Amino acid sequence: MSPWTRRSHRIGSADGDPAAGSPPGATAPPETVPLGDLGTLLEEDVATDRPWLVIVWNDPINLMSYVTYVLQKLFGYSKDKATALMLDVHHKGRAVVSSGTRERAELDVYRLHEHGLWATMEQST
Amino acid sequence: MSSPIRRRRDGRYVIRLDPNARIVLADLARQLPEALAARDPMVCRLFPPAYPGAELAEAEAEYRELVDTALVNHHSRALETLVATAEADTLSEAEFHDWLDAVGSLRLVLGTRLDVHEDMEAPDPDDPTAAEYGLFVFLGELQYLMVEVLADDLPDEGRAEGPL
Repeated sequence: MSPWTRRSHRIGSADGDPAAGSPPGATAPPETVPLGDLGTLLEEDVATDRPWLVIVWNDPINLMSYVTYVLQKLFGYSKDKATALMLDVHHKGRAVVSSGTRERAELDVYRLHEHGLWATMEQST
Repeated sequence: MSSPIRRRRDGRYVIRLDPNARIVLADLARQLPEALAARDPMVCRLFPPAYPGAELAEAEAEYRELVDTALVNHHSRALETLVATAEADTLSEAEFHDWLDAVGSLRLVLGTRLDVHEDMEAPDPDDPTAAEYGLFVFLGELQYLMVEVLADDLPDEGRAEGPL
């Protein structure tokens, strides 16, 4: 069972926004926004909108054919695309294999970890 | 020469393997769940960080809290399947996938311990790590053959576009 069923219970909203964990309603915006805060609020909106990238890193242990197989199986890539991504991992050291909301990216990272791949996530810049 | 591993028409997987290799596999698989549960440093490779870097340490701690038990259970269950079916001539699809998972976990742990790197040469037969390296190579051959069979079952077509 995916641990995310548990998490969505806990934080209520998806997308793993940074305010997650606060009680519901605690972060509701005031009706009027002080002018000085407007810039910050807009920046935060942009920051939470930027997608998270899931990255697979080169490792000396996993077989190339295994990495290709996992990318096909988990993300539905064609054999050619999965092979191209695997070769990026092998030659460039890393490849972005999926992207999306923070919650989605975490789930993908977890599925890659289940399969023994060295995967991390970072927010796109 | 035909592969010792294949998928039968009825969907079961046939594995032809030397009886001694099966004993070794089961022995290895029997040892790992305890190390996993204890989070022995030797199994650290099975718990890569999701959020590397000090600035996301809090997110990483939350991720670990969320997934580590699930990861331990996932790998332990697969290893238990390998122990229970080590002598079976044929495996169900679920058992075959558990074998792949268990063999992969064992390889990652052994490979980390041996500090395996690309273009590594096999250690000298007198080297104290030679036997363990031999096991690592055997697990790699097994994984390779299993992946070959499973990859044949996947469609070649699929998403041609990357995530960006």
